[in-house]
Amino acid sequence: MEAGTTLCLVGPNGAGKTTLLKLVATLLRPSGGDAHVMGHSLQHEPDEIRKRTGLLTVRGFLYDDLSAAENLHFTMRMGGLKPRRDVIARVLERIGLAEVADNRMRTFSTGMRKRLALGQLLVRPIEVALLDEPYSGLDSQGMRLVDEVVSDFKASGTTVLLASHQDGEAVREAEQTGILRKGHLEILPECEPLSRHLSVGGPAGAPEVE
Amino acid sequence: MGPISAVEKFLGILALLSMLVGSYVGLVVVPADAAQGNVQRLMYVHVPAAWLAFLAFFVVFVMSVLYLIQRDERWDRVAASSAEIGVVFTVVTLLLGMMWGKPTWGVFWTWDPRLTTTAILLAIYVGYGALRSFAEDGEKRARWSAIVGVIGFANVPIVYMSVTWWRTLHQPPSSPRSVAPDILWTLMLNLAAFTIVYIYLMVRRIRFARLEGELEKRMAYNA
Amino acid sequence: MSLLYRAWAIVWKDLLIEARTKQSFNAMVFFAALVLFIFSFALGPDTELLQQVAGGLLWVGIAFTGLLSLSRTYQNEETSGGLEGLRAYPGDPRAIYLGKLLGNIVLLLLVEAVLIPAAGILFQANLWPHALGLAAVSVLGTIGFSLVGTFYSALTVNLRAREVMLPLLLFPALVPVLLGAVNATTLILEGDLMGEAVVWLRVLGAFDIIFFVICIWIFPIALEE
Repeated sequence: MEAGTTLCLVGPNGAGKTTLLKLVATLLRPSGGDAHVMGHSLQHEPDEIRKRTGLLTVRGFLYDDLSAAENLHFTMRMGGLKPRRDVIARVLERIGLAEVADNRMRTFSTGMRKRLALGQLLVRPIEVALLDEPYSGLDSQGMRLVDEVVSDFKASGTTVLLASHQDGEAVREAEQTGILRKGHLEILPECEPLSRHLSVGGPAGAPEVE
Repeated sequence: MGPISAVEKFLGILALLSMLVGSYVGLVVVPADAAQGNVQRLMYVHVPAAWLAFLAFFVVFVMSVLYLIQRDERWDRVAASSAEIGVVFTVVTLLLGMMWGKPTWGVFWTWDPRLTTTAILLAIYVGYGALRSFAEDGEKRARWSAIVGVIGFANVPIVYMSVTWWRTLHQPPSSPRSVAPDILWTLMLNLAAFTIVYIYLMVRRIRFARLEGELEKRMAYNA
Repeated sequence: MSLLYRAWAIVWKDLLIEARTKQSFNAMVFFAALVLFIFSFALGPDTELLQQVAGGLLWVGIAFTGLLSLSRTYQNEETSGGLEGLRAYPGDPRAIYLGKLLGNIVLLLLVEAVLIPAAGILFQANLWPHALGLAAVSVLGTIGFSLVGTFYSALTVNLRAREVMLPLLLFPALVPVLLGAVNATTLILEGDLMGEAVVWLRVLGAFDIIFFVICIWIFPIALEE
């Protein structure tokens, strides 16, 4: 992938989209071969990759008994940064959780959790954003937030790799699309209309590639 | 069971022969101990068994370290085989120890440092084996058991020292009696016999382990 | 140093959560008290006997209680995406071990701070003159326990039958710690006329150092996916 572009991964359930994202995030070790992320090898320099990558998973890495602000505080610390209140406040504002900043995560709805998980990617400076089903659990406002965040990423030159069943602006705006089936990845040519492979809220079928 | 190779046949026969010779010498040829009588002959099987129990675990340790460094599954197979065989020797050691203890000291069990350490060795072995049976993925199984193998082995000398201290602070240590050359020689003979048995068992077990590994891989592909 | 910084972040997080929910602490204190109580019943009202075995009983209680909290060490992470979450962050993964270790040590020491006086009352032993010695044993023993415990609970977190595997792996490894702690405690409570307790404290110290080095060295391998 070219730096600063967006690639959208589609494929049926079990195809391996999450696995691929986790591999790039260096959470899984490749059983063979190697790949390079921003010039760093997956096999030999995983830590360099982790420094510059942010992963958004379906469940998110959030602690129920901490508040939203504290969760972000923790994320910043674990990223090796000194947590700054203004940064956290700004991100909370961006993701629409400013009012509930000090409420425990336990009280949050699914959508709110998803937003906070998205916020975790925003408190650290990253060069590659890996988004696994970013739309799941979100209402239309939340989905718009995801689209905005992705276009912000694009504007700042962050590379985005997202896997999604659902259609959305970010998906449509992706420069490239990859279809993953049973572990085999095919990058579609640019002019392929993606919308005919997706349905809102439904799984992507197995498309025919001309 | 596949066809048995020539090496295995040779080792098997050698093992059997040496055990027979060792047992014959230990039971018939060597005179009974002056103090303890015939029961003392148990030493000729108890001590070699103990020695091998610890040797087997040392092998587990070395193989575990090699595996962690090189990640070659062959080392893992050898480690697992040695652990299985080691358990057998450990149990034999403990049983024989108890059989020896009852008529000699009147009790089945004492908190003697060596016996206690052997019992703990058994616990470590069992933990190793249980870990392997609960881990499904071949690579994880190898990695985790290698870690347990290393830590377990590192612990054995510490356990031995701790128990020894514990005993000496409560009881004066028993002074080692000087060993008659006859007895020593018989002991060595049986030790050699047991070692050959160990090697024989290892060779066969490793071959099975290799076949098991092949089977696992094929089943994984077909799944 | 980033390692300590991130380890501290994990300690902060775990202790903060614990302070808010008090899940582990309460359960541990009650459980430990229960264990001591039952032991006392089992051994009968003979005060002298109880005082002789007080050291042993205390540490058995601490061991079982510690086991309880260990199972929860990574359980906490389960609901928040598992250890995966922590592994996705950059930096040396040993920070995870260090952070969890310190959290466990602090928690267990806090429980002991309640438990040991309680044991003193239950066994009618006057503990004050021995406070310093008991504190030393407590700290060294808890460190030893937590070192191996934190390590093995990371190893078994993804294993089937984890509740059985953890004690099975842990207890053989803990023999030196238990021996050292029990003997030191008993000697200290008896007045330790010959200064033997120091020997056991040294055993504990040596164990702590050796296993700290081994565990922290091997930890990244245990954590691999």
